[in-house]
Amino acid sequence: MTEKGFYLYCLAQGNQEESLDLKGIGGTPVKAVVHHGWIAVVQECGSKPFESTDQKVLADWLLIHQGVVDVALEKYETIIPFGFDAIIVPTPGKSAEDNLKEWLDKEAEGLKTKLLRLKGKAEFGVQVLWNPTMILPRLKEQDPEMQNLEKEILSKPEGVAYLLQKKLEELMHARLEKAADAYFKIFYKQIRECVEEVRVEKARKEKPPRQMILNLSCLQTKGETVALGVVLEKIGQIPGFDVRFTGPWPPYSFVNG
Amino acid sequence: MKIEIDDKDLKHGILGLVLAVVEVIRDTLRIQSIKRMDGGSLTEEETERLGKALMELDKAIDKLKEEQGVSEAVRSVRDGLDDLVDGMVRRLANPRELTHEEPS
Repeated sequence: MTEKGFYLYCLAQGNQEESLDLKGIGGTPVKAVVHHGWIAVVQECGSKPFESTDQKVLADWLLIHQGVVDVALEKYETIIPFGFDAIIVPTPGKSAEDNLKEWLDKEAEGLKTKLLRLKGKAEFGVQVLWNPTMILPRLKEQDPEMQNLEKEILSKPEGVAYLLQKKLEELMHARLEKAADAYFKIFYKQIRECVEEVRVEKARKEKPPRQMILNLSCLQTKGETVALGVVLEKIGQIPGFDVRFTGPWPPYSFVNG
Repeated sequence: MKIEIDDKDLKHGILGLVLAVVEVIRDTLRIQSIKRMDGGSLTEEETERLGKALMELDKAIDKLKEEQGVSEAVRSVRDGLDDLVDGMVRRLANPRELTHEEPS
């Protein structure tokens, strides 16, 4: 008989051992395990992480994971969330619960520091998108090289015009990249000043013509996002720019300092 | 040009790959041509012929992609190549990533 493992959702502080009236992955009930003032929100699982090659199944599991963590956040206010598929397994002579409690004792100081750092804070997602077709005309106005190339193209024979056109396209691309970089630096600075911590995330591909030029995860005290809101509204008002502001989320991205 | 292969997926895969490579080569030819044009090492007539040849190449590639329905496949291969190169450049710039194998 394979001994059960524990699937970890999050940690909190408290003394109440209870079932959370909640179903986790695979319909298994979620419960709170208590040890020396720590609460681990867990469910029983096998001794290996959940695996699937089916994208839809993985997506469903992720949603369930997030759902459980959200409920825990509501209940315990400050939590340290685990990412998807963190499990603690039994080892020879020790159950998963034993190993969990041992780990909690060993990590207690570090966990306390983490919890303090995350207390009362939430994660917010900030993405800035732009539409290059709207930005380009403004760049052209200030760019004699682009203007000259455009004039030249009109006056040249087919083959030469083609090459010049390609040269212009390269130039436009380079100017847009430079502008995106400049905007990123400005927006980053403005946003950084309104939040406690920032992590730069990879820009995601968007439906053309829009492009994402900034993707940040921000850690901020819940209820203190007014200044950030003002900054983001100003950015959204610039023609050609859109802002996506999401949250509050549990602070997944900031658990590891 | 007609390509008859029984397995649609196989055709898409191989043709997509081949055309993606052709496009990359075409892009390189373009860059070189523009460099030569700017550098003054071509006469106006040579530039004209070069430009026209590249135009025809563009048309041929586009026609092939449309006829064979592989525009998406080509886009997908090129995006994959971009990601691959991005990843490699990042790792070369950050040697620590080589040892820690951080997910991209």
